[in-house]
Amino acid sequence: MEFRLPRFQLNPITRKKLRRFRQIRRGYIAFLILSGLIFLSLIAELLVNNRALIVRYEGAWYFPTYGAIHTGRDFGLPYDYEVNYKDLPAAFAQTKNWVLMPPVPYGALENCYPGQTFKPRPPDAGKRHFLGTDQINRDILARLLYGFRNALIFSACFIALTYLIGITLGCLMGYFGSWFDLLVQRVIEIWSNIPFLFVVIIVASVVPPSIGMSLWILLLIVVAFSWTGMTYYMRSATYREKARDYVHAAQVLGASTPRIIFSHILPNTLSTIVTFIPFTVAGAINSLTALDFLGFGLPPPTPSWGELLRQGTSNLNSPWIVASAFTAIVVVLILVTFIGEAVREAFDPKKFTTYQ
Amino acid sequence: MVLEVRDLVTTFDTDAGTLTAVDGVSFPVRRGRTLGIVGESGCGKSVTALSIMRLLPQPMGKIRSGSILFDGKDLATLPTEEMRKIRGGRIGMIFQEPMTALNPVHSIGRQLSEVFLLHRTRNEREALQMSVEMLRKVGIPSPEIRIGEYPHQLSGGMRQRVVIAMALACKPDVVIADEPTTALDVTIQAQILELMQSLQDEMGMGIMLITHDLGVIADMCDDVVVMYAGRIAESGPVQTLFSTPSHPYTRGLLNSIPRLTTPRKSRLPIIEGMVPSLAELPAGCRFQNRCPYRIDACSVQPALEEVGPGHRSACHRWRELPSLPVSP
Amino acid sequence: MSAALLEVQDLKMHFPVKEGVFQRARKVCRAVDGVTLSLPAGSTIGLVGESGCGKSTLGKCIVRLHQPTSGSIRFMDTELAGLSTSSLKPHRRQLQMIFQDPVESLNSRHMVGEILAEPFLIHAMGDAGWRRRKVLDLLDRVGLPANAAERYPFEFSGGQRQRIGIARAIALEPKLIVCDEPVSALDVSIQSQVLNLMLDLQRDMGLSYLFIAHNLAVVKHVSDQVAIMYLGRIVELADADEIYRNARHPYTRALISAIPQPDPRHRQNRIVLSGDVPSPINPPSGCPFHPRCPHATDRCRAEVPALRPAPGASGHTVSCHYDL
Repeated sequence: MEFRLPRFQLNPITRKKLRRFRQIRRGYIAFLILSGLIFLSLIAELLVNNRALIVRYEGAWYFPTYGAIHTGRDFGLPYDYEVNYKDLPAAFAQTKNWVLMPPVPYGALENCYPGQTFKPRPPDAGKRHFLGTDQINRDILARLLYGFRNALIFSACFIALTYLIGITLGCLMGYFGSWFDLLVQRVIEIWSNIPFLFVVIIVASVVPPSIGMSLWILLLIVVAFSWTGMTYYMRSATYREKARDYVHAAQVLGASTPRIIFSHILPNTLSTIVTFIPFTVAGAINSLTALDFLGFGLPPPTPSWGELLRQGTSNLNSPWIVASAFTAIVVVLILVTFIGEAVREAFDPKKFTTYQ
Repeated sequence: MVLEVRDLVTTFDTDAGTLTAVDGVSFPVRRGRTLGIVGESGCGKSVTALSIMRLLPQPMGKIRSGSILFDGKDLATLPTEEMRKIRGGRIGMIFQEPMTALNPVHSIGRQLSEVFLLHRTRNEREALQMSVEMLRKVGIPSPEIRIGEYPHQLSGGMRQRVVIAMALACKPDVVIADEPTTALDVTIQAQILELMQSLQDEMGMGIMLITHDLGVIADMCDDVVVMYAGRIAESGPVQTLFSTPSHPYTRGLLNSIPRLTTPRKSRLPIIEGMVPSLAELPAGCRFQNRCPYRIDACSVQPALEEVGPGHRSACHRWRELPSLPVSP
Repeated sequence: MSAALLEVQDLKMHFPVKEGVFQRARKVCRAVDGVTLSLPAGSTIGLVGESGCGKSTLGKCIVRLHQPTSGSIRFMDTELAGLSTSSLKPHRRQLQMIFQDPVESLNSRHMVGEILAEPFLIHAMGDAGWRRRKVLDLLDRVGLPANAAERYPFEFSGGQRQRIGIARAIALEPKLIVCDEPVSALDVSIQSQVLNLMLDLQRDMGLSYLFIAHNLAVVKHVSDQVAIMYLGRIVELADADEIYRNARHPYTRALISAIPQPDPRHRQNRIVLSGDVPSPINPPSGCPFHPRCPHATDRCRAEVPALRPAPGASGHTVSCHYDL
């Protein structure tokens, strides 16, 4: 046997930390709620969608949610573009055919009142617009849910990229020190003095329309200006770990530099990084929303919270728009912050003491 | 007798349940004499000191029962406000790590005169004057200049002198010194021990000296209390205790330390095993699982019996102990 | 005396002290300032001194955790001082280290079995089954149960953790182990257990130790020779019994007299030195000990004393101008 941990078995310290996290009720409940919301956003197509869940037509089963596009002619309607599933119940009225729509039968990009004037419409449970529609007749709940998913994808990629760059560079700076450390530090100082917002504005105006300002370009710009914070933390953490005796012991044994970094220093520094993740998520959602709000974020018609918030503030006489977007942002950020606090408390067990 | 601890029980609430760190400890501290409390980590010696000073970490630490008699009052139940006056005024404390006992952002003079302003005078200039005098007394050269300096500008030995000056500022009746020389080098330790002795001769306070170093105990103390796993194993006058240890733990400790006179590279007699954790103490005598002389009776807690004048031991077999072989 | 295993010649380790905006080194910390010593195979040399005297730095230079500024370290007929990390690797099997703090010196994220298997992995020795047997053998040698391999360092007490550190150091069957204060972080009753273990291993494996400590009684117990260091230099070097009975240097005498003896009948007169150990950044002129020495003369203030044989004693060297 090689004394390697089987995958399912966690280090007992980590297990203890997780147990402590579960005991912090506020954080744990927030974690459960947020996990639920994330799950809902992942299966958003089944809940909020203008495609039907199931269509029973002439003895055949259709599941259009994730499948190929069906034209109107497929279901006996006289057109060749994608079928509007909301037309089907009327067409199937006298037959054995039937159709099952999701609870909210609207897509995020769909104009729900085709042919009518563009204006925000208040919540209407009968029409299944639970949060109303925005100024171009799109369902707000659909936009919120798909916008949340975009924000999550953005945050996940943001964390992966900033941490990858920050941890790698910071660790190298801390481990090798001397001129390399000095050089990178100066570069970072200059880099972080470039005004981020201007760069976003310039890039937004320079990006050729054929490519468009996509989620990925936006991500790259934000990451380019956000990785520096992590290098500072990793640099000092690596400096600290490098000076500890277990690293000296490995050096005396003749361990190679990669071995010391990957087997000794990284596992000991990364454990604290977990506590930063929730706050980074909050930051990422915040910046994406802010950029969208200012109009430098995701290109229309991508569903996004910032864009909804902007609509809401310019249509204050339709308060359901701003209320929905604002509530969604506040709830998610509060949940993330609660989780972050709980994680920090669970992973950093400084018992509070007071003296008389 | 200035201070008397009677049947002190101190507990800590932890994740693993309530742990009894000090379990029924009694001893007196006498004027002009030095009482040593010796034991290994986790034996409860520091918790005893913190209990007396009422500085237990809150909210986990509690004095469960027993009394700490000082000047006709019971410190265990004294209101916080009154305790504050006694602490630093009539009972001084010297800590192990002088750097943590001093506030790094305030000058030496300011910290020392604060003690005088709290307990002795309202006049700031007078307090500063007293501080200079006190620093001179603890052997700090050119104290008029030193009062303007900050803790990090002083060496470890000098810092400990400042801590001693603060502890002795108000001419306390008792000084509690918790490992005062552990963080210091041997030659500096000699300076500090010498200073504490000469200040005691001059001011006549009782000293309670907590240490793990039997050498320091032998050098400094009149009486000794040996603690093991929260209880007193043995107590008595220093000469008697070192010449005729009447508890297997004391005897084992004294035999196991290498001395300048032990034959070189010889096997040292050892105490097997290690101190049990407070969460899993054996019933009865707490030393039994390490004791080479264990008998069935040891599963019953032995009482602290008088074995000689002022000399007590908590061992069922103290009478036969001198005839038992050192390493069976 | 058998052939020397380790021969240190005029070893210096000077650290630049960086100051100012441009981090330019203006001053030099002379942590080790010209140390010469020789260690015969199978024996122990004890290195005693107060904090800042350079004893730990000297130990770290010898295992090449530091690259010494100048001087030579000959170990088993190889010069270690200038070797690169890669050419050092084969020699590391013969040269190991035990650290002071058993909490700091073990990686808390690795199981004990992983910690003890690491030396074999680094030197690509054996297959998994062989390494497993070696780990169990090591645990047995240092008196730990076999199930310790699947546990983490924090599940052990200080003494047990130090045993793990010792097991790691002997894993590659080295010739020399540098022990940096191996027992000073341990409880009194545990210290003697660990000292006994180290003496047993020395006898069984023919190890040599460079034993660094501030406790002269402990050093004297385990050492054949004792070197007293002060401000980066050796001020006295002699046989362990000789140095205790017959100390020649005023610092050694003060050091011995300052150790509190666990015997209240012998409250000897301490030689209390005034003042503190000076900083190695600005060492005093002449003899480094002169500002604290009760016998200092003008000659001591001006002239650095050389390490010379003490009159009337073989193998006893002292660095003092006078025969006290």
